[in-house]
Amino acid sequence: MEKVIRFVRLHLGDGNEEVGRKEIEKSWIEATRVLLRYEPVDREFLDRVLKADDSTLALLYYRLHFHLIRRSGAWVHDGSR
Amino acid sequence: MTAAGSLPGPDPREAGTQLRPGLWHTINSRYPGSMITKPDFVPLVALRKPLSECRVTFVSSCGVHLKNDAPMEVAHPFGDFTFRRVPSTAKHGDLIIHQLKYPHDDADLDINVIFPIERLQELAAEAVIGALTPEFFSFIGYNMDPERFEAIVARDIAAAVVEEQRADVALLAPA
Amino acid sequence: MGLIQREIEARGVPTVSVTVAKDSTAAIKAPRAVFVPWPMGHHFGAPFHFEVQRRVLFAMLELLQNATQSGEIRDLPIKWADVRREARILTEQGRRL
Repeated sequence: MEKVIRFVRLHLGDGNEEVGRKEIEKSWIEATRVLLRYEPVDREFLDRVLKADDSTLALLYYRLHFHLIRRSGAWVHDGSR
Repeated sequence: MTAAGSLPGPDPREAGTQLRPGLWHTINSRYPGSMITKPDFVPLVALRKPLSECRVTFVSSCGVHLKNDAPMEVAHPFGDFTFRRVPSTAKHGDLIIHQLKYPHDDADLDINVIFPIERLQELAAEAVIGALTPEFFSFIGYNMDPERFEAIVARDIAAAVVEEQRADVALLAPA
Repeated sequence: MGLIQREIEARGVPTVSVTVAKDSTAAIKAPRAVFVPWPMGHHFGAPFHFEVQRRVLFAMLELLQNATQSGEIRDLPIKWADVRREARILTEQGRRL
């Protein structure tokens, strides 16, 4: 399990474990900041999405992480680490 | 021309990149099992004709593809085990790189720093090499499952290079 | 990259690659490789430096013709600092694709 945690942090931190840990927190913070605006959401869409198979949902989880991080403007994934 | 004194300082990417000692171990400790050691050498195949008569192909792990092609899957934690075909007539402006894990800002300015397609077109025009295969090949180097990679991507690209594109020579470059 | 190179060579087509990581290329025993001491993502040099881009390709083609032993990694000892400096000057002179 420790190995998986380290792997995930390295992937999301562009090879730097400590950065990866912060990036994971950052994407949750970014999502929370968006939701703080209390805009209407498409719940039908969410219900449909959640019916997708597990692999698709797991990949969507990763896609959303990178999507939110990219939109936050602080992008660590330039391969320089 | 700028006077030497006013040139910008050293490129930060130069630091520690000369000869990159220990890169195999560095990457393998970050992504356990991602780096490979092979016990045996593959016997060399000799060129069958002069280079000026050879059809040359190019294979790259830089993740470049035509702008209107599907982007590579870069969010996936284990990588993308698909590859893209790039017409060998493509120009810098037709191409785009979707990949993390290595710096491609310079390649965005001039794709030939990592995928020298226009230089190869020139070598073919100058008859240094006979011709280019109609298509080149590209995939992303971030693949964390070497066995799966070997079984799918390596075999499929090798088969396409040899049987379908009928290459006499293959040039390859990682990113 | 080495895996594909080995696979193509094993199918009867001669191959040559370029590398910036000598130990990784040696570990996978790529049939023939040219080594350049440059950063990742810059295996053929710097933007708009066509001469250097061509020199790497010519070094690869030469190794393809005269390598005698599988696994040879031949150095192309051009300093990155020189490539970078020359490329900056070429860019300042307005060379564009």
